[in-house]
Formats: sequence, C-alpha cells, structure tokens
Amino acid sequence: MLTKKLRIGIVCPYSWDTPGGVQAHIRDLAEFLIASGHSVSVLSPAIDEDALPSYVVSAGKPISIPYNGAVARVLFGPIAFTRVRQWISQGNFDLLHLHEPAIPSLSLLACWAAEGPLVGTFHAAAKKQKIIFAIGPILEPAIEKLNARIAVSEAARSTLTEHLETDAVVIPNGIYAKRYAGGRPQAKWQGNTIGFIGRFEEPRKGLSVLLEALPIIARFAPDVKVFVAGPGDPDEIKKNIDAQLLPRFEFLGRISEEEKADFMASVAIYVAPNTGGESFGIILAEALAGGATVVASDIPAFDSLLGNGEYGALFESENPTELAKVVIELFRDRDKREALATAGKVHAQNFDWEVVAQQIFSIYEMSIVGSNGVSLATEHRSWNRLLSREIDRE
Amino acid sequence: MKSALVVILLFLIFLWYLSFSATRLDRLHHRVETSWANLDGLLQRRAAIALEIARSEIADPASSLLLTAAAYQAREARVEDRSQAESGLSGALGLLLSDSEFTSSNADKALLTELSLLTDKIRIAIALHVDAVTSTHNVRSKVIFRLFRLAGRAPLPVTYEFEADVL
Repeated sequence: MLTKKLRIGIVCPYSWDTPGGVQAHIRDLAEFLIASGHSVSVLSPAIDEDALPSYVVSAGKPISIPYNGAVARVLFGPIAFTRVRQWISQGNFDLLHLHEPAIPSLSLLACWAAEGPLVGTFHAAAKKQKIIFAIGPILEPAIEKLNARIAVSEAARSTLTEHLETDAVVIPNGIYAKRYAGGRPQAKWQGNTIGFIGRFEEPRKGLSVLLEALPIIARFAPDVKVFVAGPGDPDEIKKNIDAQLLPRFEFLGRISEEEKADFMASVAIYVAPNTGGESFGIILAEALAGGATVVASDIPAFDSLLGNGEYGALFESENPTELAKVVIELFRDRDKREALATAGKVHAQNFDWEVVAQQIFSIYEMSIVGSNGVSLATEHRSWNRLLSREIDRE
Repeated sequence: MKSALVVILLFLIFLWYLSFSATRLDRLHHRVETSWANLDGLLQRRAAIALEIARSEIADPASSLLLTAAAYQAREARVEDRSQAESGLSGALGLLLSDSEFTSSNADKALLTELSLLTDKIRIAIALHVDAVTSTHNVRSKVIFRLFRLAGRAPLPVTYEFEADVL
C-alpha cells in the first residue's frame, strides 16, 4: 500500500475558490495523500487568500479568460512564474503533479520551470481545434518533460492523442464512495421520482431535454415528480414549463453532501441528460455509489462510465422521446431498475479514492525511480553532457 | 553595421535554440533511462516471482521446467532481445495460470496475487516507456536534430514491443 512517504507538490490551474471538478479532484487527492502520511503542498490561484486550507499556497489572484466554451479563472505571467519558481525551489519536492498542463496556466509554468519527476493529469475533453497547430510546437517541449501522463477518461485521453500526439494512462476521477453509500432513503423523494443535480441554467447540462420529455412521461406516470438540485435561478426555467406540469417540479437549490447521499438513495431514477462538454461525469459515479438507478445521455464520457449501459441506462443524447421511453420502461420494471442500481453500486467502488489514489500513487512510484527529486530546470544540461560525454545504457 | 548586428543577433538566437533543443533531447534521453530502469526493475521482480512459482506446488514438473527456462532467458536477455524473452515468460506464466484455479494453499495464492498486481504495474510501465521512446524517436528524426547531431553519441533507444494480449 502507500508505503514510502513522499513530499508531493500539486499544481492547480484554476482558482481554488471557484467550484469546479478539477479543484474538487485536487482537494480530495491532497487530503487523501495527507491522511496517508505524505506531505503535500498545493499551489493554486486564489481570490480570497485568507480562506485557504493549510496545505494550499496561493500564487496570486486569477484572471478570467474564455477557454473551451466557458470562462476559466487561471493565472500566468512573469510574476506568477517567479512565484512558481520560488515554490519549487523552496518545496524540496520528490515529485510534482501538474493538473491540466496543456492550457496557459500555473501548471504549464511549473512544467517549464521544473526538472525531475513530473506527472501530469489531463482532465478536459474537447474537439480538435485548429489553434493547436499554432501552439503545439510551443507546448511540445514542455509536455514531453512529463514522466507520466494521466487522463481522467477515455475522452480526455483521445483529446490528448489528437492534440498533442501523446498517450496517457487512464485513471478515473475519485469519489468517497462510502459517504454516498450511507444515504438514508427519504419518503419525500420516493415514489415515481426523477432526480437531477447540476447548474441547470447551463444548456449543456441538458435540463431542457428532460423538460421536453416530461409531458410524455407524465402521460404514462401521472404521479411523476422531478426534483432539481443545484445552484441557479429556477424562475427563468419555470417560465418555459407548461402550467399543468409545473406542480410536477420542485427546485431544491444547493444541497449538502449528506443530502446528496440521501437524495441518491431515494429517487427512483437519476437523470443526466447532458448534451456534451463532459469529460468524466463525477456526478454519475456519485449517483451510482449512492445506489441510484441512472439514466444518462449516450455522450462518450457517460457511455464509458456506465459500461455501455451495463451499470445504468443510456438514451440517445438530445432526444427527449428516447429519454421518455427509457424512463417509462424503468418506472414499470422495478426488477430491472433495482438490478441496474445494484450493478452500478458495485461498479462505483472502482472510483473510490482507496482504489484511485492507489493507482495514482503507483504512477508516482514509477516516476520517481532513480531520481533525486524536483529542482529548477537548467538549460545547461546538454553542456554538462557535452563535457562529460557519457550516456551508458545496459 | 546595422545589418551585421542583426546577423549576429540572429546567430545568437540560433545558438540559443540549438542549446535549448539539445537540452530538450537530453531530458528525453533521461526520461527513457528512468522509464527503462523502472520497467527493468519490475520485470526482474516478475522473473523472480516466476522462479518462485516454478518451485512452488502450483507448477507441475513439466511447466516448472518451462517456466524456469523462460525466467532465466528473460533475465539474461540483451536489451534488443528483452521484449521477446519477456513475452516468452508471459506465455509460460499464462499457460500455467490458465489452470491455476486448482491451487489451494494460501502461500501459493499470495504468490499469484502478487504476480497479478505486478502485471498491472508492468502494463503501465511499458506504456510509459513506449511513450518516452516514441517521443525521443520523433524528436531525433527532426531535421535540425539530425543536421547538428544534437543526440551526440547517445544510442537510439530500443522500442519495447508491447504485446498486450500476452501480458
């Protein structure tokens, strides 16, 4: 198990105080590693420098740039570069773990500045962009310094292969499966109910697909209820809902982790109608761990997470009729619903931090073989070699 | 005068670029060495476990002989022949493990679990090494690296043939 105690430096590209998948992943990973006795320092941009946990070092305030169809709060520039170099030279790290090093961010700066065992995790999945031909030659020398590359999903891996022509080991995002497995079914959410969690105002989360499917579902299951949880203003959405169907909806606002576990244990079906932009689908892993029967759109990330439909039902993305069909079938067939939920719950154990962190750590171990830790990069390496001219393998 | 300055400047930038490229390649060579050291270590451990299995009750005398031979071959192979020898060992282990459900003793089971954990690691180590080697090949095939012999006398890294189905 996690035996050797290491000093690990993790670089977070996005602002620590903005909620997001990458930040949550880094937080959980750092806390898991610390709990296993390693010493961890996370370098991250932060808006509020006083509200950081003790293991996070602020690199300054982030700037907002549009990236990959959303606004990314990242940080770069000469001052940030100095901070990164300082952090590396003072940290005395055995290994650096850089997240999303292929975007203009702290991670890329760290990748430039450091020398030694470097591990990179690629989170994003994106379609091939033309711009890569321009920035590829700049990124290549930095990215090829990484001893090991991790992709969080097959989608992220193929993005990496297409853009940077390099391969990666797939290690999924982690969840604390036990926290979700302990959910208590709540009567208020039980029955013919459908659950949805997420920022429902964002079109790519696909709530509109569910809205369109609901009239069809309501015809077959008149008592159906939809519970929508997540931050956002429900009034905007309610305007688009048929007055007759409005009582079928309930907006819960943001819910806590514990409520989430209860929610997943209670609702008959958890629906993820996302239309794209998902690389992994951590919410599905959480839903499965919580014992929910999952119905999801067949976008690549969900398709692979649900094992082509083995651990949850899939429907054709952006097709409300297909969604309605799948939901109605599952409402009617209790056995099938429970079989899916049981298979899903077992499968979700693969995403538990106990498993995922072990896989990440074994990558760490492989990367530090024969190294003396991380130092600042020098451009004299080749001259040193020229003077001693000795490369000897086997 | 002015044009001379520009020429000198361009020449300096070019020199810097050469130095930068040489450093880049040197890092890649280093990466190949470490990923190889890692893979080599894991493979040595596998050969040791294979020998232990050969001596245990899991193996009948015939497979024991086969396994011992394969393990020694894998250990003593030169780099160029290594992947073939290791594939041979994988094959011998595979033959044995296909009917390993008959093993009973706990010590033997522990041995088999260790082997399967190690196999998972080896699979990743091979991927890391292959990636390092491919990157190095790609960079070394670029014109500027060939023209200025930036690789120096460093030998071209050997590709490890990845036979996923055998492992």
